[in-house]
Amino acid sequence: MRGLARLVLLLALLTSPAHAQLRGIDLYAPRPFGYVIGDVVTLTAEIALDAPFVLDPASLPAPRALDYWLDLRGVTLTDEGVADGVRRYTLDLVYQTFYAPLEPRRMSLPGLTLTAVAEGRRVPVEVPPWSFLMSPLREIVATGAGPAMALRPDIAPAPIPTGTTLRRLLAALAVALLAFLVLAWQMGWGPFGRRAARPFARAARAVPTSLGTTADPSPAAYGGALRALHRAFDATAGKGVFAEDLPDFFRAYPAFHAAEAEVRRLFNASRRAFFGGDMDGARRELPPEALVALSRRLRAVERGSA
Amino acid sequence: MHLARETDLALSDWRAQALRFEREIGKVVLGQERVIRLLTIATFARGHVLLEGDVGVGKTTLLRAMARAIGGAFERIEGTIDLMPADLIYHAHLGEDGRPRIDPGPLLRQGEELAIFFFNEINRARPQVHSLLLRLMAERSVSAFNREYRFPHVQVFADRNRVEREETFELPAAARDRFLMEVQVAMPAQDEARRSLVFDPRFHDVDALLMEVEPGVLDPQALGTVARAIQIGVRTSPTLEAYTLALWAGVREPASLGIDIDGVDTARLVQGGASPRGVSYLVRAARVRAWLDGRDMVVPEDLRAVFPEVMAHRIFIDPIYELRRERIVSALIAGVFEKVQAP
Repeated sequence: MRGLARLVLLLALLTSPAHAQLRGIDLYAPRPFGYVIGDVVTLTAEIALDAPFVLDPASLPAPRALDYWLDLRGVTLTDEGVADGVRRYTLDLVYQTFYAPLEPRRMSLPGLTLTAVAEGRRVPVEVPPWSFLMSPLREIVATGAGPAMALRPDIAPAPIPTGTTLRRLLAALAVALLAFLVLAWQMGWGPFGRRAARPFARAARAVPTSLGTTADPSPAAYGGALRALHRAFDATAGKGVFAEDLPDFFRAYPAFHAAEAEVRRLFNASRRAFFGGDMDGARRELPPEALVALSRRLRAVERGSA
Repeated sequence: MHLARETDLALSDWRAQALRFEREIGKVVLGQERVIRLLTIATFARGHVLLEGDVGVGKTTLLRAMARAIGGAFERIEGTIDLMPADLIYHAHLGEDGRPRIDPGPLLRQGEELAIFFFNEINRARPQVHSLLLRLMAERSVSAFNREYRFPHVQVFADRNRVEREETFELPAAARDRFLMEVQVAMPAQDEARRSLVFDPRFHDVDALLMEVEPGVLDPQALGTVARAIQIGVRTSPTLEAYTLALWAGVREPASLGIDIDGVDTARLVQGGASPRGVSYLVRAARVRAWLDGRDMVVPEDLRAVFPEVMAHRIFIDPIYELRRERIVSALIAGVFEKVQAP
């Protein structure tokens, strides 16, 4: 603790059985001298009680003006928990003094009486008083010329050099933005999905849109989804791709070899649907869910992340 | 249902026969798989074919092999500038008794059995002959000896070489429209085929070579029935019909599709043609191709495979582009297939 003075009161040694449950109070205080008007004094008391006893929060003092020269600014009670049958508390008391002494003078912070309770029994817990020396801020009669005690300007803050940090931050942000743009371009997010080189990204959006949310899309919706994928093949190859052109297509775009079986299924289904007049057969061959999955897979193949 | 099943079975038998027919011809004509496939399609679509190509690329050999493999009666005639329609129909000569005689000419000699009529160098014949041919192709009949002769099974093959232009007569548009296909015969592309054609003595004697073709693989009398069964059995879906109409519109108005051909004003390029008859021939040929592929539905690939041969000669373009016709029309067709979306 930062306290310079340490007072130990072993009240448990007192013979009163009412105090048998109080193990001890340690008061930690700052230096006891060198205070001037407006200074803040923080006292810390560590309180140890036998386990069943707890401090009654109602007995804590409220922050308030205690005297014409003394304010209690803050009271904080921290429960440190039970260890070896002893419950420990830390009590922080913040005082501020406004006393204006004409010469060094001993002032006293009053003691407190808290209450510990257990099973209907109430035991007082005394926090001892503490005293310190206060000094005047200035001499009573001015010896120098001029208004020696006029308000002085605030100390100018010493600027922390931030230029390098700021530049690094900007550079990092720029790199991050660039990386995000590259990622978006690669994945075909947002406006990049519409660029010409990403027909399957467009199709992957159009297929679920066309199929809608129903589990059993209409033939027109299913046909529309098939068409969306065909347009993507056409756009990729730069000309109409028919089922018979698939070997050439795979030769020209070897990446799509990975999905060859599914692509052939797609073309078979589409043949059935559009030219065989067998929409149900087409849907059995390639159900709508598989169509959505295929569109995603082809998009992945297209951006090279399959 | 029994009847339909039987038709299906018969059709698949015929398909096996058609593929055998292709193989037989492929034995003696090397490196022309596409041309052979197209001629097979024309045979099963009962359409007439005009072959075009350089001299000596094997047009005649190909047609003779076809005639032998199809079987049935076969006649051929060479187009010359002084050939007149009567020369096809009548054969005038002096009999053994010294009296003039008029007998049926090459066209009538075989009567109704005539299955293949092969007209060599058709562009050397005069327009009068072309018009006789027009009737033969369109109606499968001619008038002679004061009566009408009918040839229900006839299929006309004609060839012309495109190198010479002197002393030739361009076929009238109406006659060209009667041909189902105009097939370009080019030199075989593969080195292996070229080497064989030049160095293998087997290919030096055409008559001996043709003996290798099994004669009469197909029955010419039955071809008409099979062709009808194919046209009924292979279906076209509404989507395909819409696609065909879109192709047709695209060929007639390429500017509306935004087709761009180098050095050509597409707004005025196409002056006419692509007749309804032409498009119906296109669908007919596409159905046969689908059947040869073992399908009972026409798909866009079928249309694309036969489109240049069936449609190119029916597209009439502005005369100022006529000299570059081949390149421009093939660019036009490629452009239409690129722009019209299927399905």
